[in-house]
Amino acid sequence: MDPDALDAFRRREGSGVRALYREYGNLVYVVAHRVLGRHDLAEEAAQQTFVRACQAADRIDVDRDPAPWLATIAKRAAIDIYRREARRSTTALADVAANDPSVVTLPPDLDVLDAVWHVRRAIDELPAEEATIVRLQHLDGMTQTEIAEKLGIALGTIKSRSHRAHRKLAALLGHLRSSSND
Amino acid sequence: MTDRPTNEEREALIAGDQAGALGPDEVAELALMADLLADPSTWVEPDAGLEDAVVRAVVGGEPDAIMGVTPTATLAHRRAASRRRRFALSALAPAAAIAIGAVVATRGGTGTDFRSQLSATALAPGARASADVTHSRAGFRISLVARGLSPLPQGEYYQAWLKNAGGTLVPIGTFSSSDAHVTLWSGVSPKDFPTITVTIEATDNDQASSNRRVLVGEVRAG
Repeated sequence: MDPDALDAFRRREGSGVRALYREYGNLVYVVAHRVLGRHDLAEEAAQQTFVRACQAADRIDVDRDPAPWLATIAKRAAIDIYRREARRSTTALADVAANDPSVVTLPPDLDVLDAVWHVRRAIDELPAEEATIVRLQHLDGMTQTEIAEKLGIALGTIKSRSHRAHRKLAALLGHLRSSSND
Repeated sequence: MTDRPTNEEREALIAGDQAGALGPDEVAELALMADLLADPSTWVEPDAGLEDAVVRAVVGGEPDAIMGVTPTATLAHRRAASRRRRFALSALAPAAAIAIGAVVATRGGTGTDFRSQLSATALAPGARASADVTHSRAGFRISLVARGLSPLPQGEYYQAWLKNAGGTLVPIGTFSSSDAHVTLWSGVSPKDFPTITVTIEATDNDQASSNRRVLVGEVRAG
């Protein structure tokens, strides 16, 4: 991370906070949302994450990627909120609609959280046009022909962008994997 | 209407050239990656207003904030968690070996090199945006945070450009109105192309700018 931005973050200056948020805000939010499954609670966890990070900012090693550290703080902040919400139940379950957003039906899927944020971070590194194609292919289940029609781009261009995007994803995720073996 | 791509086809996309050479464990790990890419929770985006809320929370301080994690603790945690990450990511090792150069190229940046505040035009009076530009060996990575852009009808999208003093435009990426925070890439330097614009384009096979500008800003050294 830019040392000047980090210094500004340590001093709680808005420019430093914005710099860190713009680099890692999506990542933090995705981790929190994965744990909590609710937009409002995930945003609360994201705010807490950056507050906690600021309190420990003087101990950040500027030579290390702060993303794993922020993801861990986000996970813990989200788990704290999850536990708080779990204790808050005051209505008989039978009286609550099955689709009520406050109904927590599953515990947080912590085992895949690390993989989730690695994947999201890799997605965020892609150029927008490549990320769009990956999203349409995997999330929306569209074929390359359908994507070409939807975006008004030649099929060959879609194929080459898709190939390039998946190579980048593989490289980015492989890089993170190798760094975990230090 | 064509058939949806199967899970196997999506897994093959991720595996790339190595698709035919994976063992059973790697295939299972690849399935997890495909599942995550198909999971809506992987793609969620915070509201544009969260940035301001975070700034207020940090700058204003929160008395009940609990600090339970330090970078040192995180390092230990990372090592403890490496086994889980290996499970999730080892399928991608062959491709990583091929494309490690791309990793170095895309992650070799050293902080923000240029910044821009973009102002709205009459076409989008409620819009505003900021952009941070980071130089790496792969090019110029532009992190654009746009707010107040309207949803576009089917067949239209937003496109960002860099422009030089002579009026030459270089396209740097497209996005939809739902993207509050997008990453764009440029192969030319903002030093030489110091104006950043966002236009509304149509899917009409015309690669030239429509000149329907919604955001305009000057890029300055960060």
